[in-house]
Amino acid sequence: MDLSYTAAEEEFRAELRAWLAANVPGEWRRPGFWASLPEDESFALRRDWERAKAEAGFAGIQWPVEYGGRGGTPGMKAIYDAEMVLADAPRTVNPLGLTFLAPTVMAIGTDAQKKEIIGPMLRNEVIWCQGFSEPGAGSDLAALSCRGVRDGDDFVVNGQKVWTTNAVHGDKIFAMVRTDPGSQRHRGISMLLIDMHQPGVDARPLKQMSGASEFGEVFFTDARVPATEVLGDIDDGWRTAMLLLSFERGASGISQYTEFRRQYDAIVDLARKLGRHTDPVLRDRLARVLTDLECLRLHSMHVLTQVEQGRDLGFEASMTKLIWSETFQDLWEVYDDLLGEAATLDDIEGVDLRPLHAQALWSRSVTIWGGSSQVQRNVTAERVLGLPR
Amino acid sequence: MFFALTEDQQEFGAAVRGYLAERFDLAAVRGVVEDAVNDPGGDGNPATLWKAAGEQGWLAVTVPEEFDGLGLGLVEAQVIARALGAGVAPGPWRGTVLAAEAIRLAGSDEQKAAWLPRLAAAEAVGALASSDALAAVEYGAIADVVVTPGGRLVTGASSTPRGSYDGTVRLADLTGGEVQELAGPVEAEIRARAAVLAAADLVGVAREALTRTVAYDRERRQFGVPVGSFQAIKHALADLHCTVTMAEHAVLYAAHAVEVGAEDAELAVAVAKAKAGDAAVASTGAMIQYHGGIGYTWEHEAHLFYKRAKRLAGQWGDSATHRARIAELTMGG
Repeated sequence: MDLSYTAAEEEFRAELRAWLAANVPGEWRRPGFWASLPEDESFALRRDWERAKAEAGFAGIQWPVEYGGRGGTPGMKAIYDAEMVLADAPRTVNPLGLTFLAPTVMAIGTDAQKKEIIGPMLRNEVIWCQGFSEPGAGSDLAALSCRGVRDGDDFVVNGQKVWTTNAVHGDKIFAMVRTDPGSQRHRGISMLLIDMHQPGVDARPLKQMSGASEFGEVFFTDARVPATEVLGDIDDGWRTAMLLLSFERGASGISQYTEFRRQYDAIVDLARKLGRHTDPVLRDRLARVLTDLECLRLHSMHVLTQVEQGRDLGFEASMTKLIWSETFQDLWEVYDDLLGEAATLDDIEGVDLRPLHAQALWSRSVTIWGGSSQVQRNVTAERVLGLPR
Repeated sequence: MFFALTEDQQEFGAAVRGYLAERFDLAAVRGVVEDAVNDPGGDGNPATLWKAAGEQGWLAVTVPEEFDGLGLGLVEAQVIARALGAGVAPGPWRGTVLAAEAIRLAGSDEQKAAWLPRLAAAEAVGALASSDALAAVEYGAIADVVVTPGGRLVTGASSTPRGSYDGTVRLADLTGGEVQELAGPVEAEIRARAAVLAAADLVGVAREALTRTVAYDRERRQFGVPVGSFQAIKHALADLHCTVTMAEHAVLYAAHAVEVGAEDAELAVAVAKAKAGDAAVASTGAMIQYHGGIGYTWEHEAHLFYKRAKRLAGQWGDSATHRARIAELTMGG
């Protein structure tokens, strides 16, 4: 058992921490700061800040140097994720690109794609959207009907994508499109890299139950994409998508623990302020959540160990998603219940509850996106436990 | 970062499991359980298993080499405890290891020399009572030395059997005997170790109950299909897999934290015991439920796991008690 990071990793932590201390403005740390900005302004601010961070060498931590990355270790990536939380640094504006697209391009992209996609993404010159879900294809992705018809050197794309993160800020979208007419289910789909700045692409925001519009829908009406702009082989997009989704299996759990533990402490502070912290039922429920949070921390150490040992985690990612999302939701349910009749009020005892409410409302989404809890349970039961389909 | 068992540690566990599968399977366990019904005063310590525990180093695991032990730590001990839990194995392994730990941590040189080599070699049976009252002590009737968290070392006590519906153990109330004091305080350290090893047994029970239930529900057919194809069952078993896996992580970490005296060791122990107790009770309850009627029979093995889970979940602090401690540690009073 060795739960420490290497000297080089700790050195990296110190360097990053110093940079973040000097470059995250104090007012950004104020609860509710980001929510107080208009969405476009917030996005632009984060986009520019992230570019500066990349230029300082704190991006693509684990990516090879040849692609503009830092060439760091999995441990450095885990440290990076956690330090970003501790510094109240803003979240990336390019999450789908950084988490999913870039590693897939590094694995199976052409040399031209590696050059054209990765560098500009790191500098936020291109914001990437993911075009998977459709109105008729949510958990059942293979039911997708967005289609691309070959016309000379191009595909002409028609259809709709939905729940698209950053839809209105996106520059390009990696989209699952049925390119073999008449194909069924997993076959005949290609992953096309479509320019969103063209007349045939219309991105509209969707207002979420929280009031924010982080996602939207994207309509394709005779949108054109060169047939060379495909990731992986034409009509082999399912394989590309499965590879792409496998990159979610990183060590992000350590930063999630860091973030959720701070939220736990904030909820405890609120309970104390409201005189509820001595309530034995509430204490027991908080202790249950804390137990699961500690387990999440240990699980992320387990995942990091497996990654460092070069082991394939396989379908264990489904369990990881289940435990963090369900634990996060449990935490915010305790928050709701501790407020009692103040559950929906904007403030209580001089405390602005709105930033906390935003988290509590957000907690309803995490068990849906990225594969709902029900899908993850199916995957865990069938692929890990071996129960029959 | 290395949060996992080493190859040596994994092999140690595999050896214990292998021995039980070949030489002391559930049929043998059942024999001990049936004996308990007929004779609750019987010693409940099968000679073959006890001999193996001595010969294969299961008892010597945490005893220092200078006292003829293996000089390993609590991480290795929890590996053995987990395997014994998975096999619902009877016998005074845990009490003997914990008695030796108390003596190693707080005993005088004479006490160490007198007891550690004998406990390590299966020449003496040890027990750790939950308090100085010496009530319902595991294998108290056959223990050569009984230690208490309060720092007493008792020999030659008289015993009265206490019945328990878990037939994989024997319990006795003890009185009298010769009482010595250990040389130093041991309470916090030994309670932590006792909780970790009980939690390790519980995760062994929990994992095995889940594995057996999955195997059964893959084969058992109703409505023309395996019952394990129904989502009502799949989702419950998937959730259990998550719970049991988290409990395994928690126990492994707690063992390490106690061993190295980590800053968060107390929290880690509380988390491990609460999580493992809940996981084992849930998993063994599910074992009964998802076997259907057969799971509720005496003939089926589900009750062996369920009853052991119930016993150990309540020992060394039940889940609610540990959660109260977690609340104190993270919320204050």
